[in-house]
Amino acid sequence: MEVLREWERVPLVPEAPRIDISLMAGRWLKTNDKAQWIGRVDIEVAGDGLLVHVFGGGLGPSPADWGTARSEIVYGSWLTSGDGLAGAFLCRYELPDVSVELQGNLNLGLLVVATYVTFREPVPLANRFTREFFRQAEVGV
Amino acid sequence: MSVIEPAASTSLDLSVLLGDWRNTNALGGISRIVCEPAAEGRMTVHCYGRCLPEDRDWGVVDAPVFAFEFEGKEAGAFSAVYDFGFEEVRLQVNVKAGVLVVVTLNRFNDDSGRVNYFNREFFYRKPR
Repeated sequence: MEVLREWERVPLVPEAPRIDISLMAGRWLKTNDKAQWIGRVDIEVAGDGLLVHVFGGGLGPSPADWGTARSEIVYGSWLTSGDGLAGAFLCRYELPDVSVELQGNLNLGLLVVATYVTFREPVPLANRFTREFFRQAEVGV
Repeated sequence: MSVIEPAASTSLDLSVLLGDWRNTNALGGISRIVCEPAAEGRMTVHCYGRCLPEDRDWGVVDAPVFAFEFEGKEAGAFSAVYDFGFEEVRLQVNVKAGVLVVVTLNRFNDDSGRVNYFNREFFYRKPR
């Protein structure tokens, strides 16, 4: 078994267990009262992946509705933990002027969302990194 | 091997990111990350995986840098991708309070049965 880190040398299992992604699903609201890059994230389970609908948070050029993207991949929380927690997901959005790689992960009940915002054409602005926090909406919200 | 091919946006000050970063956890998965400047305002990263009996050299890859604001002049984050065939590692990294926060998204392309996994580690900059 080839490894990049010693901890990846784990006992072989017959097949990769399916990652339980249901914990990611739901409506996630920003924890910050102030305007931010992303205001809300709605996540649905779709087969082995996630449908991630992002809404802007009123800050800067963030569109009100980013649309829905399917997760490219969902990562488990550990090498052998496909039976439980979903660790993270990755998806991409093409917004006016910018491409966004979005990575979300669960941490202590929060959805932590990082974005890497890259301008498609040269501009006098910087490509930008954001990290924002979201709590799960109460049922009925 | 970058996550996103960067457009030629404004050039950023890399000083917050550059240096020889060491894992705060002696048992961490990545032992060391070296960030160095490259041509045209770009940056490269050189990672070492903690393996026994000695660390595995992952090599040097291009690392697009990002500011915390669109009007920012200072880079505070970067991304990078290592593709070894049997495993792809995406690094998503930012500096917070002088600590390098390193998220890895690890995808196995072999038949080992290992689960694709997410991990976060913390690094301090080795004093010169």
